[in-house]
Amino acid sequence: MFFLLFKLRTKEKSLRVIFVYIIYCSANEFLTIYFHAYHPEKLFILFSVFTIVEFSLFCLFYFYITLNKKIKILILPVWVLFLLFAALDFFVVNKMNDFDSVASGVESILIILMCIYYLVVQIKGSNNLLVYSTTGFWIIITFLIYLCGTFFLYIMAENMINKDRAFRVQYIVINSAFNILKNILLSAAMLMNTSPGSSQILKNDDRDDLLSFKL
Amino acid sequence: MFFLQQSDHTIGVSYVLIFGTIGMFVMAITLVSVVVFHQRRVIKFNTQLQKLEEEKQQMLLKASINFQEEERQRIAADLHDDAGPLLATARLYLNENLIHQEPAVQLQSIFSAKQIIDDSIQLIRNISHSLMPPTLKNFGLESAMKDLFDKINGSGVINASARFHDNRERLNDEQELLIFRILQELVTNIIKHSYAGFIHLTQNVQGNFSYFRIHHDGKGILQPEFEQLNYNSTGLGLKNIESRIKVLKGSISFNIDSTHTYYKVTIEVPREPVNKKAIHLI
Repeated sequence: MFFLLFKLRTKEKSLRVIFVYIIYCSANEFLTIYFHAYHPEKLFILFSVFTIVEFSLFCLFYFYITLNKKIKILILPVWVLFLLFAALDFFVVNKMNDFDSVASGVESILIILMCIYYLVVQIKGSNNLLVYSTTGFWIIITFLIYLCGTFFLYIMAENMINKDRAFRVQYIVINSAFNILKNILLSAAMLMNTSPGSSQILKNDDRDDLLSFKL
Repeated sequence: MFFLQQSDHTIGVSYVLIFGTIGMFVMAITLVSVVVFHQRRVIKFNTQLQKLEEEKQQMLLKASINFQEEERQRIAADLHDDAGPLLATARLYLNENLIHQEPAVQLQSIFSAKQIIDDSIQLIRNISHSLMPPTLKNFGLESAMKDLFDKINGSGVINASARFHDNRERLNDEQELLIFRILQELVTNIIKHSYAGFIHLTQNVQGNFSYFRIHHDGKGILQPEFEQLNYNSTGLGLKNIESRIKVLKGSISFNIDSTHTYYKVTIEVPREPVNKKAIHLI
């Protein structure tokens, strides 16, 4: 916590977003235990809210780290559409009393696609800075690994979590394992504090019209 | 071990979950590994490229220094071998015994010494002109190039011509001299190596850049050959061209026209107009 508070002093907005995300994840864990013990019927509301907040924070983080203006503009409509979709799934389809597998699945796919796009940009860029020495890269791979690992778990949860006790145990084991991995990777991300930037200018110097040798 | 204890009808679902999770996890790890290894390779390649560039810079610097030394040696040799003996001979004619000679002999000796001193003056003037052509200094690049081409045409072997489309504003002295030396070196190379029948120089201005292009119908070189020769060759000519281009902050490109008939060398130079002070001095 001290380490995180120390890192909070950073002026980098993307890191602040991740700090808020970590705090929210921790709070969510405690709330899950509380709701599970005292209000199990409201547990799915907590999960649905978590999906929306997680996606929102990731979009904000992506907005800060991406250099592409088109992507920055595109993030807002994607976020709004997802919000509408999650709300529809939560209020109309699940009626607030089932696991939000569809919204979680869509969230995972969107975040994975965004992560892959970020990595593709890193490959295409001619930056001499080592990619794994940047905060952005570690945070992106954290989300990529975490959401790839829990993708099948979340999309199957809606049908299985209330019916199969073995699945509930599997859910806890897989979810906890990837949560631990997520925290380790985010800690590694916090240790880095550099962000890449690159530009390339291409020049066409064909001057045939200007310097024709015909007199 | 409740994790593995399940009913038969859910075992298939469980396999999907476990293998799906493992598969996705492996895919994510593979993706990240590919990115990291690819980037490491790119960085390694960039480092090698940078090293090569540094080596090239070093070579250009060395070539530039060598060229200066050769130029000094040439001037030293010209002065020592030509001007030295001439002046020594003049001194012989004007020795102490001259006053004891007959007036006719004295006059003859003075006349001979005068002739030799005139030759020496001409020799020193030639050396000076080879360092800085007077036409270039007084009348500009166009006149200097036309002067050079007139001399080439005099041989009757090659037809050389120049057309300056926009030469209203002269470049500064340093730029003109550097461009003249580059063009001179290119023309010399064409004469020596390409067996061309004609050479044509064109000049134009666009925006803040001056463009010079030499066309010839001989056997020319293309950009990759230029870079290879520049890197591997022990000769100084191309290296000097490149170092002068770098000083001018310009660029040079070697191409062939679409019909594969004429080779062309294009030089792009940012314009630095002649300063007012220099005009007054001229």
